[in-house]
Amino acid sequence: MAERIEILISGFGGQGVVRIGQILGQAAVYEGLFTTMLISHGTETRGGYVRSQLVISDEFIDSPVVERPDYFCAFSAIAYGMFKVLCTPQSLILHNPDLVTPDSALSARHWAIRAESLAERELGNAVFANVIFLGALSSKLKSISSENLVRALQDRLPPRYHEQNLRALELGRSL
Amino acid sequence: MKRTFDTGNAAITEGAILAGCRLFSGYPITPATEIAENMSRRLPQVGGFYLQAEDENAALHICNGGSIGGLKAMTATSGPGFILFADPFGWAVSSEIPVVIVNSQRVGPVSGITGAPGQGEFYFSRYLTHGGNYETIVLAPNSVQEAFCLTVRAFYLAERFRTPVTVLADQMVTDGWETLIIPETDEEFRGMGLESVPRRIHPGPEFYPASDAIDIPPVVLGHNTGAACSDWTPTDRGHDTEDVTWQHKHAWRLIHKIRNHRELIDESETWFLEDDPEIILVAYGTPSRVVQSAVRAARKEGLKVGGIRPISLWPFQDALFSRKASYLTVELNWDGQLVREVQRAAAPGSSVHFWGRCGELPSVRELLAAVRRLKEGKALERDGWRTEAW
Amino acid sequence: MNGMAGVLRRGEMRDVMEKYVRPEKNPGTACSGCGLRLAHRKVLEAIDELGLGLGDVVWGTGIGCSGRQTFVTWKGDTFAGTHGRVYAMATGLRLALPPEKRLILTVGDGDAFTIGFLHLLNCARRNVDMTVVVFDNLGYQSTGGQYGVTTPLGSRTDSSPYGAWEPNWTQGGFDVLRILKEAGATFLARHTVLQGHEPVESLKRAIRNRGLSLVQLIYPCVTHYGAQALGTRDLAKIYDWFRDRTVESIDADSSDSFTTGIFHDAVGSRPEFAASMREFVASVQKEGNHG
Repeated sequence: MAERIEILISGFGGQGVVRIGQILGQAAVYEGLFTTMLISHGTETRGGYVRSQLVISDEFIDSPVVERPDYFCAFSAIAYGMFKVLCTPQSLILHNPDLVTPDSALSARHWAIRAESLAERELGNAVFANVIFLGALSSKLKSISSENLVRALQDRLPPRYHEQNLRALELGRSL
Repeated sequence: MKRTFDTGNAAITEGAILAGCRLFSGYPITPATEIAENMSRRLPQVGGFYLQAEDENAALHICNGGSIGGLKAMTATSGPGFILFADPFGWAVSSEIPVVIVNSQRVGPVSGITGAPGQGEFYFSRYLTHGGNYETIVLAPNSVQEAFCLTVRAFYLAERFRTPVTVLADQMVTDGWETLIIPETDEEFRGMGLESVPRRIHPGPEFYPASDAIDIPPVVLGHNTGAACSDWTPTDRGHDTEDVTWQHKHAWRLIHKIRNHRELIDESETWFLEDDPEIILVAYGTPSRVVQSAVRAARKEGLKVGGIRPISLWPFQDALFSRKASYLTVELNWDGQLVREVQRAAAPGSSVHFWGRCGELPSVRELLAAVRRLKEGKALERDGWRTEAW
Repeated sequence: MNGMAGVLRRGEMRDVMEKYVRPEKNPGTACSGCGLRLAHRKVLEAIDELGLGLGDVVWGTGIGCSGRQTFVTWKGDTFAGTHGRVYAMATGLRLALPPEKRLILTVGDGDAFTIGFLHLLNCARRNVDMTVVVFDNLGYQSTGGQYGVTTPLGSRTDSSPYGAWEPNWTQGGFDVLRILKEAGATFLARHTVLQGHEPVESLKRAIRNRGLSLVQLIYPCVTHYGAQALGTRDLAKIYDWFRDRTVESIDADSSDSFTTGIFHDAVGSRPEFAASMREFVASVQKEGNHG
């Protein structure tokens, strides 16, 4: 039985929308799974959001479009406002309540993660917020092992950033 | 085998290098820039040349020049650069010189939308130069892996047919990330069904014979064969002539060396075509992925739906449409292009419909809704616009 | 043909034609009395005097009178480009050819200085090893006689029936060769085909240069420029007009004259592009893959 997981990540340019999708996708490939990730950029970057549509499956993925996200990482209010309509009662929306105010009319579940302040407090820099999100998200994905996630992160980031990012990942996974 | 997670841009780069490409010339343009960037890093590693041209016209001319010197060459661009190929593309067609062109289609006309997918060059890729009197080969990948394989294929066909071959991709194929498997040995290369032929050298000084033969080595200069090639109408020596008889012989060769070897070019994927479909969805490139999902979903609902995906776009595969049915093309444009060819090729008694959009892929939901409306005999609508009026 | 007697050393010229030109393309497509044949022969003489054989030269051509006259005349390897783009093609070809092969392009003034100028400038910037010989017939003659950027001001042509008035690149303080010098060309010269052996000497220097050389060879068009702008098809009168207009100094005032001589000789002063490319590629390969 095919399992298809749809993940939507969206925020401003520079928030790591594409990078954490790359790490997750790479980890899924290490697991022997199929992965697709569509990137929207260009005018959308200038217009206020970047979007990664990530699909992970144990069989060939036909449509790469995220129509009903199982997980939605909303890194900005604009992104949240734009894509919340796709969410269903089964969706889990990961957001930072300092940046995104949840819409009480939505049936989707919300998971508030104060990633920026956590990153600043624990790692001295808010830039690691996205990897905290990645850690939190990955803790829900049973098909991707912690080991392969670490390997993918090490693959996709320069060595000098490994230590702090691995700590950020662990922070996220332990939330 | 190297199993990785990468973009279509990277896949095209690696495919080209494995196929023997040793010259890339291009001009930066979204969303094909990353191919140039990857080539600038990878080509010197394998002893090849990366050359940033002053414009796309020069880029393909530089490729043509490299090719007549014996190098396998490629350029990559998007719509606004693709239009500047008319001149060098025609030269390569008429001089019968192998070269590979990648077009990552974005939204047009003109600058349009840079970072979003379009499919506006379906016909333009067929008629990229003036004057007619030729046939051309266009391949359309719908995944990162296929972008890799079809780039290798494009080089293979270009060599065998002595002609430019176009890989017609779109922004989602080139910018999209996906599982990519790259062969690391010749055995793995062949095991993946990939083929490659080395550049051979035309013995000269006679030009190509007036026949539809393929596998004749293209003209390569610098080997003192007295070989000649040019934009002029050639005689059998390659000389220029204004004689209509020679022109006809030349045109006949350009057209029929391709049309008479369709079996080497034609490629397609179909879904539930032998399962009595009443409605057949047709798409190429990334939208075909959504179509595949929609066809499966429709079958689950008990709807008699099938699907056709041409992988080689040109020459157009009329034979795919020999079944009498209701056809629905799904395209990333508002004006309807593929639909016109399907209408021409569809079996008598068929009805042909169009679902268009630009910049974003359709959703399975939307396609299912369109299928249901077709089944009920209603006109297709989207956002209150009647999309049937193509 | 009396007017040519002092210029042509006929016996020798027939020899270089027989030696290098495909018999079926001799004497070529130029009109009777056209200076283009002289220009073509100057290039062949230079090749001959350098002792180069058929295997030493790859010959490319552009479009127009010059392209048509010289295309596939060369018995060796030869090609014709599209209009104005043969410089870009030659850049790609240069990367593929062995460095010792000489790459000679015979093109027209329209091809080089208008439609192809962008590409020519970029060849100069890169100092790509090729010799561009511009057979300058003072305008667009193969299409029936229209003015170009080397047409003398005031000339009547089919597209300047009141006299050419647009600024050109040879008068009024402008010189197209100066633009090419600034762009990085390493050998530049200008002559008329009536100047005997001088153009041949410049062509030899140009062909020997491992870099971008350009020789502008001005020649008389009898059928169009002569008839339209000079009001005569009389060869002697046209040649006299040419001689009167020619100044044997490259620095002279060009407002009413063809200034001739070597404009810029910087042979060996800049690295050649294809050689630099090979060195760069070799250095990347030597240092290993950083990707």
